[in-house]
Amino acid sequence: METISTLSYYFHLLATYTTYYSSYWRDLYRDYPYEVKTAIWVIQWALILIVILTIILEHRGHLRRKRERMEARLEERYGEALNHIFATDNDHQITRDEIISRFHLSSKEASKHGLLRDDGERRTMCRMIYHRLMNDETAGPNRQKNLQLLLDIFALPSFLEGEVSLGNMNNKMTAMTMIRAFRLYISPWVINKLLNSKQTQVRRLAMYSSVMSSSDSELEYFETDFFDKNCCIYDEIELGYTLHRRRAAGLKLPNLAHWAHLQKNDNTKCMFVRLMRRFDQHEYCHQLEDLFRESKHKKLIEEISRTWGYLHYTESEQLLVDTMLTQPDDTKVAIMHAVTRMASGQSLSLLLDGYENTTNPHVRFEALRCMYSYGQEGRDLLAHLESEAPEADHKFFSFFHNPITLNRIPLDKEQAYHPSVETVYNLSY
Amino acid sequence: MSIWMTIYYVFCYIIFGYTLTIMASYLFFIFQSYRAQYKLSIDMPDDETIKYQMKGSPLTPAVSIIAPAYNEEVTIIDNVNSLMQIDYPDYEIIIVNDASSDRTLELLIDTFEMVEVPYDVAMRVPSKPIKRVLKSTNPKYSKLVVVDKERGGRKSDGSNAGINVCSNKYFVCTDVDCIVEPMALYRMMWLVINSHVPTIGVSATMLMSNGCVVDEGRVVEARVPWSILPMFQQLEYMRSFLIGKLGWSNINALPNISGGFGLFDLDVVVKSGGYDNTSMAEDVDMLLRMVTYMRNSGQPFRIAQVPKVCCWTEGPSSLRALYRQRIRWARGLFEIISNHRKLFFNPHYGPIGAFTLPYIFMFEFIAPMLELGGYIFMIWLLFIGGINWNTAFIIFGMIYMFSVLMCFFLLFFDYSTQAVPWYNRRRSYWHLALAAFIEPFIYHPIISYCSNVGYFQYIMNTTAVWKPIQRTGVKKKEKTKNEPHEDNKS
Repeated sequence: METISTLSYYFHLLATYTTYYSSYWRDLYRDYPYEVKTAIWVIQWALILIVILTIILEHRGHLRRKRERMEARLEERYGEALNHIFATDNDHQITRDEIISRFHLSSKEASKHGLLRDDGERRTMCRMIYHRLMNDETAGPNRQKNLQLLLDIFALPSFLEGEVSLGNMNNKMTAMTMIRAFRLYISPWVINKLLNSKQTQVRRLAMYSSVMSSSDSELEYFETDFFDKNCCIYDEIELGYTLHRRRAAGLKLPNLAHWAHLQKNDNTKCMFVRLMRRFDQHEYCHQLEDLFRESKHKKLIEEISRTWGYLHYTESEQLLVDTMLTQPDDTKVAIMHAVTRMASGQSLSLLLDGYENTTNPHVRFEALRCMYSYGQEGRDLLAHLESEAPEADHKFFSFFHNPITLNRIPLDKEQAYHPSVETVYNLSY
Repeated sequence: MSIWMTIYYVFCYIIFGYTLTIMASYLFFIFQSYRAQYKLSIDMPDDETIKYQMKGSPLTPAVSIIAPAYNEEVTIIDNVNSLMQIDYPDYEIIIVNDASSDRTLELLIDTFEMVEVPYDVAMRVPSKPIKRVLKSTNPKYSKLVVVDKERGGRKSDGSNAGINVCSNKYFVCTDVDCIVEPMALYRMMWLVINSHVPTIGVSATMLMSNGCVVDEGRVVEARVPWSILPMFQQLEYMRSFLIGKLGWSNINALPNISGGFGLFDLDVVVKSGGYDNTSMAEDVDMLLRMVTYMRNSGQPFRIAQVPKVCCWTEGPSSLRALYRQRIRWARGLFEIISNHRKLFFNPHYGPIGAFTLPYIFMFEFIAPMLELGGYIFMIWLLFIGGINWNTAFIIFGMIYMFSVLMCFFLLFFDYSTQAVPWYNRRRSYWHLALAAFIEPFIYHPIISYCSNVGYFQYIMNTTAVWKPIQRTGVKKKEKTKNEPHEDNKS
């Protein structure tokens, strides 16, 4: 109380001085032209603002130093034990008593509801655990259970939920990120409020948090045209991460082909088709046939082709072969890649067509690359084509003789998922 | 009242109005940059979260880093090692050797075990012919590509050669002697992957490395430079990146991505023709052509600014070097104004045409000339005894106090965003605040003079001389020294 009254006294003093001097200056320049008055006004306010900014800077500096001291204290008290828990204890399930003994807590301290004094300390502790989790590359089988226990000892799950519902916008976002990282359950009533937030990022994060742990009915967000605008790569990363967590928790994955059908935006459709191959949804591949036939969106056709190829949906091979020559060059490349991955009877003839019926060096090179990736038969064909190729085309084949460039040639699994064109060398003119 | 007196009064009032407009525009920038920062503080998670999300995902786009080099034998190995320390899941480093006459290429070949590989280069943008492309036989250096080309004489030619070899959708153009923050690519690419409209370029915040302590190609301790010229430049860079560019980016009107460190969309760059080898301001020129292309083709786009420091560059520490650099910049500005005049006041080109370029013309291009005119006018008035000293001091006081206020806003802003988290030592802020008080007397007249000389040279068509800045080097961390820092002693 004493501090508040001292502060209010100084603020009152400052306000009185400001009023006095501004009246004094105004009177002093009463008869001057307005440009002088304007200048005086600017000088006056600049001075006041400089003083205010200096005070705020100093105050913030003080708060920061205080926070740093608190962080250092918590780090000193719990840091080493936390490191130990994250580094060594993931391969077995740690008990509450073990954690308490590692933190050197007495039984009286441990029985208190929350060992941390205030929200600042709780935030710091969350951050300490979160940062260790982010950098923990030795995740053992029991990490989740140990983490849950650790958070419970410090009463952090309820604190984080409180932050999501009552904190300011920054704290809400941080808390939601942590809840996702810690895989904590969050009440639907808390998250539902955020699903209607004005901030896009808050809305999205709330939706992904909800999808990650909820029942099937929560997945209905995607049954509508949720991504009213283009979805971005971040959406795909988040959705992939969310579905991955669902799968790891033994929850049912949605039919992504059905979701793709429901979207109005072609780029969003592409995203769901790509996710299908990431989550190996072979059983829904046939649902993409209509989309492939009806769509005029080049990227969507490419993504469907890649998905079929990656998931070995051989029933689509004839459709791909029939349409390949009428497609644009990039789509041709996607179809060649798909057919190569299917490795059925028609692949080599299709690749030969792809090589011979184009002048685009990029398409020709990709056809050769597919032949190489196909196996011995393909490599024999490659050798035959090389022996008959004119001098100008030898540049294509030189890539297959150099060990440094050769190791990028085979079609690999990573490339099959990557949304960018599966190009390893830049050969377009 | 005589006609001369009328002209005199009209001129005075125009200048006064001009001054007030500049001041209002600065307040507008502060407001916009604050909004941008607030938006980013909600949308953009901390570095560790960004890294965690992007590192584990196969969707994270690959990036190429293009760094042209000419006669860099002293620093090239350290610099390439520094680039290799960047933390990002998928990137390639393209070093373009612009026919160095020293041992730059030999050092690269020997150190990184480089051999010539077949590489069919697509001539997407004009550059001098590429003689060969080299890659390392050592898998440890598999990210590195060295391009040996014929002498182009300009950084832009080297950058274009890099673009022709680049195999990723996004590329970063940098100087080989820049010190890149390990998290820089994550910060920049996060803005790309989190955007609903195509991001064609991302500008990174750059600061002075003068005075910083560097260890193994990384800035381990950021300090405000003690030398007077770099210290003023530090303030100027912070003002430009954290207030100017961030403010412009909030209304999607960013006119420049620095050649020192900027990320671009390869397709758009190629369709816009790449860097202009004859331009003195090739970075601004290319970005304006990119904007023109996107607007003419009716595609939506975004140019973003990262409010955190991504790259450290050594600024000129001698007056001569600063003079040369600023003259080149002034010539570049004149060139941009004359080459891209069709964009001015043209709403077809969006906020850049409608606001940014007119602003640059009115308040960045004309200001040094007006200032020079003002000095001459003052001298004339001094001779005829026409100065009202009280009014003159008050007007000067207004401009001076406003300029200091801007710097205080900047410091406040920097502290809030923690753009340079190492500046949390109090002394650094007081140091910069002190610089803000002296800057208008020392640094500003020098810059103004250089700009006028640059314009004059451009008009007189004097041949531009492009000399590299004489680097004095940054402080290297002393391994044995184990003293606590002065600020921590207490």
